[in-house]
Amino acid sequence: MSEHTTSATTRPSARKRYKRIAYGLLGAGILALWVGIALDRFVLGVALYWAGGLGMGLVQRFSPVELYDERDTTIERKASQNTMNVFAYVFILGTPGGLALQESGLITLPGEFYGATWTLFAVFAVFGASVLYHKYRT
Amino acid sequence: MRNDISDRRAETDESQADLAAAVGVTRQTINAIERERYDPSLELAFELAAHFDCRIEDIFDPAEEGR
Repeated sequence: MSEHTTSATTRPSARKRYKRIAYGLLGAGILALWVGIALDRFVLGVALYWAGGLGMGLVQRFSPVELYDERDTTIERKASQNTMNVFAYVFILGTPGGLALQESGLITLPGEFYGATWTLFAVFAVFGASVLYHKYRT
Repeated sequence: MRNDISDRRAETDESQADLAAAVGVTRQTINAIERERYDPSLELAFELAAHFDCRIEDIFDPAEEGR
């Protein structure tokens, strides 16, 4: 996210324009990836996708206007909390539940189950580390 | 939190967009504050108070929660 000093002369239209440019670059990158896959030019597609993502980041970082204000940050934080809560329930209930069902012979878990479990574990590990980092910094 | 920003804007004949530009946030944020759906940060509250040349507690009334 952009962290520019807020300008008192920021015009909403300029903010919208730069947001459109940023999201447009990302959209173009995603479209290029799909086209690359369709035309069997996967590496080129990925390169263009990365370029689009990088372009979006650069616009957000170096735009002359602040693209996001404090309410956007608050909304994002609440959405992140909700997302973490949903996946916490999935992880806490789903993992032992799935393993218990497999142990009882009712189901055979696919490999994707373990991949998803380790991914969720990694997400919560990073989240925990991030919480600790900010806890001791503030 | 209850506030009288819309009344103050009416007095100074300012639009939400004008006020938003003056204090460096989006028009949507000003709208959300006026409708008591979003409480501003202390920093923004000070910005608003400075803009209207008054104290924060003149604008916001924490005793009367709107929601």
